[in-house]
Amino acid sequence: MLALLFLLFAALAVGCALAMVAQRNPLYSAISLIGVFVSLACLYIMLAAPFIAAVQVIVYEGAIMPGVVFVIMLLNVEVEERRTGRLKFLVPAAVVLAFVLFAEVAFILASMQEFYVTPASASANVGVTHSIGTALFTQYLLPFEITSILLLMAIVGAMTLARRGGLLSPNARVIPGAQQLPLSIVDASVGIEDTRAVETDTTDEAARLLGYERLRDESERE
Amino acid sequence: MDTALDIGLKLVAITVAFVVVLLIVAYTVLAERRVLGFIQGRLGPNRVGYGGVLQPFADLLKFILKEDIVPDKSTRFIYFLAPVIATMAALMTMIVYPFGPEIRIPFTGITIPLTITRLDIGLLYVLGVTSVGVYGIMLAGWSSNNKYSLMGGLRSSAQMISYELALGLSLIGVIMLAGTLDLGQIVEMQSGWHGTRWFIIFQPLGFIVYLTAAIAETNRVPFDLPEAETELVAGFHTEYSAMKFALFFLAEYINMFTVSMLATTLFLGGWNVPFAEDIFGRGTFLFGLVSAIGFLLKVVFFLFLYIWLRGTLPRFRFDQLMSFGWRILLPLALLSIFITATLIFLFPNL
Repeated sequence: MLALLFLLFAALAVGCALAMVAQRNPLYSAISLIGVFVSLACLYIMLAAPFIAAVQVIVYEGAIMPGVVFVIMLLNVEVEERRTGRLKFLVPAAVVLAFVLFAEVAFILASMQEFYVTPASASANVGVTHSIGTALFTQYLLPFEITSILLLMAIVGAMTLARRGGLLSPNARVIPGAQQLPLSIVDASVGIEDTRAVETDTTDEAARLLGYERLRDESERE
Repeated sequence: MDTALDIGLKLVAITVAFVVVLLIVAYTVLAERRVLGFIQGRLGPNRVGYGGVLQPFADLLKFILKEDIVPDKSTRFIYFLAPVIATMAALMTMIVYPFGPEIRIPFTGITIPLTITRLDIGLLYVLGVTSVGVYGIMLAGWSSNNKYSLMGGLRSSAQMISYELALGLSLIGVIMLAGTLDLGQIVEMQSGWHGTRWFIIFQPLGFIVYLTAAIAETNRVPFDLPEAETELVAGFHTEYSAMKFALFFLAEYINMFTVSMLATTLFLGGWNVPFAEDIFGRGTFLFGLVSAIGFLLKVVFFLFLYIWLRGTLPRFRFDQLMSFGWRILLPLALLSIFITATLIFLFPNL
């Protein structure tokens, strides 16, 4: 039963991985990658590591892949065309490297025969929430904290890059609520080829950027 | 042989739970229409059956009989896949909720647990499976090949990813108090003080953040921007008709139901009814029955709250939605975690 399930999920993982590389439509590739993650999560559960499986699903499937799919949808990436003639010299290299990889796997399998370990003989609660928590916050506290600082740096870096936009010229008109507009729409004196962007989130922010106290005067409307 | 019997029993339990939940969901739709009618000073559907009790079945029949239109330029496979993902992700969380304590059938001595399965990672399982639901909406929006659908799908994914953070963080206080992710154990821990030691007493801030984020996660008013009719026709499901639309509709209401169940389980004591243990005694049939009914009533309260909000509040603007999620809800959730951790550190015996 267990072996059958393992074969099923392993085949799914490999199949999805192949599909991910072979697909020409980037969205299909992304969906195949999601399939790989789900199959891996199932394999983790079969290895009695439910916590790792749940984290796998939450982090990769729930957080990272929606971002990827989001970008593909937003950019409306076209179906990738088959490139011919380029990088042809890499084909023999790929064959050699694949051969090396298979040789490595065969070597590991051969050496494993001598001291074959069944999963049951490993500590029974390795993948359980409690043991992971204990290990993370006692034995591996320093790597854990370093990782969190690294992630924080990544967040701050992303914020800094995203916020680096041009400032508004004083006579530019801003449409509040819009996230980003080309400058040429709001400022007639700028040509269409100018790709600088105007950014504002709220009416108040737009007014502040323009140097007014309020952008919309309530009495002016009537 | 035993495993086969076990699997068979689990399948029966899952079927029963699904049928009950789908019935409740169907009547939530009816209740929503009648309560909205009441709020807006009109009657609502009351013609099919006595007071409209057969209306859900009439609706279902209509959905099945309607013509199923597929847009010409749609990506067909994904177009068909999207509603299936949405419904499946909504239904899959059903298996970990404790609907009641173990119930003993009179005169037979058989005890059945009123939960389909107990997972060591129950809460994480719920969060993980719910996060899959966003694909249904995103892919539906993309594959329809319609600008309103795409806008709806993009909005919804941005909204769900943003509010998932606040939702997850608001639950950490409860996890710290309970010290476990097993939903059954979390409910057991709230049975003190004659069944009134609910975690909402210790986690008022976390509860408010969770409730708000949960409404946003289920795309309901006032956070229903993915399907804002005035701007986007019907959002991500503009191009869906007949039964495929019904699946999205179903998924939304099942999500409402599961989110309410999670709120009940984590904050309102799950199946703990005050003083039920003193009156009926633990483990009796009546205790089990009263507890299960108590659980359902608490869930129904949340469902009513959803409908009430829909009849009361206007919709957010999209930038308001985003700044509310990131600038108010997320810091509040972090504050709640900070306060909880400090209190647990200062009074470890409470």
